[in-house]
Amino acid sequence: MKNSPPEWDRIEIGTKLGELVKKPDSRQIFMFSAITWNRHAIHYDRQRALSEGLPNVVVQRALIGNFFAQFLEQWIEANGDILRLEWKVVRSAIPGDTLTCHGAVSKKHMEREKKLVTCEIEMTNQNSEYIASGEATLIFDS
Amino acid sequence: MEIEIPAEALTLIGVEKQVEYEVIKRDIKRFAQAIGDHNPLYYDEDYAMTTKYKTIVAPPLFCHAFAFEDVPIENLQADGSPKEIDVPLPAKKMVGGASVFENYIRIKPGDKILVKAKIKDIYAKRGKSGELYFIVLETCFYNQANELAAKETATFVKRI
Repeated sequence: MKNSPPEWDRIEIGTKLGELVKKPDSRQIFMFSAITWNRHAIHYDRQRALSEGLPNVVVQRALIGNFFAQFLEQWIEANGDILRLEWKVVRSAIPGDTLTCHGAVSKKHMEREKKLVTCEIEMTNQNSEYIASGEATLIFDS
Repeated sequence: MEIEIPAEALTLIGVEKQVEYEVIKRDIKRFAQAIGDHNPLYYDEDYAMTTKYKTIVAPPLFCHAFAFEDVPIENLQADGSPKEIDVPLPAKKMVGGASVFENYIRIKPGDKILVKAKIKDIYAKRGKSGELYFIVLETCFYNQANELAAKETATFVKRI
């Protein structure tokens, strides 16, 4: 865990973002479907999910993105905001999984006098299998 | 050999749909609960006043709350998948997916968000287990000042 919010001037390429562990269960998947009005059966109908070759009901792409957003916000705290978040789901996440977000700074740059940091991010499950990976650009308050 | 996309699918590219939503505190609070984020910035006004935002704001990807059209369930496909990606393709099963979410203005209670969604592209590739079809959906979220608050380009993948 980190001790204080990152300061742009002190960030270096390779700076680690800490980690965030999420343990989605079927209730959380249901709640996210409800609040996003996503009625796709693979998120609540196990038989349907199995018939499509999935291992169980699956965590939504968007919920995985929200886990990444939470992970990035946990790191940057009040010092900035997420400007861009890109992610790709490569393996199904299912209820009971332990998902861990990791990441590191890959670029530090100024654009139109804005202080930006780009990070490579990834999410693995309890078996160290990749669930998702991506890239985020954070904008720091000056 | 290139995989052919049915002509009736291609006609859906560029067709824009619009819908408007008003952001309320309750939905921000419920969204934060659904993603398991207990940051008081999302529900506690007194705390929010002490932050740089000076108000409750929504989690960064809150626009997902109104990314899908709220059509009656009988208007959805049998698998309940979102209307936005109801595209006549010879593939039914959804796999993986990807997204690029751009965030320009933090959403707050009282905002009136105009959602404009359209399919940007449909293409196919041959994967290890057969043909994969990709639907690229672009959704723009404008606030009441007609400023682009957020934009998502989501890629849905379907296989046979």
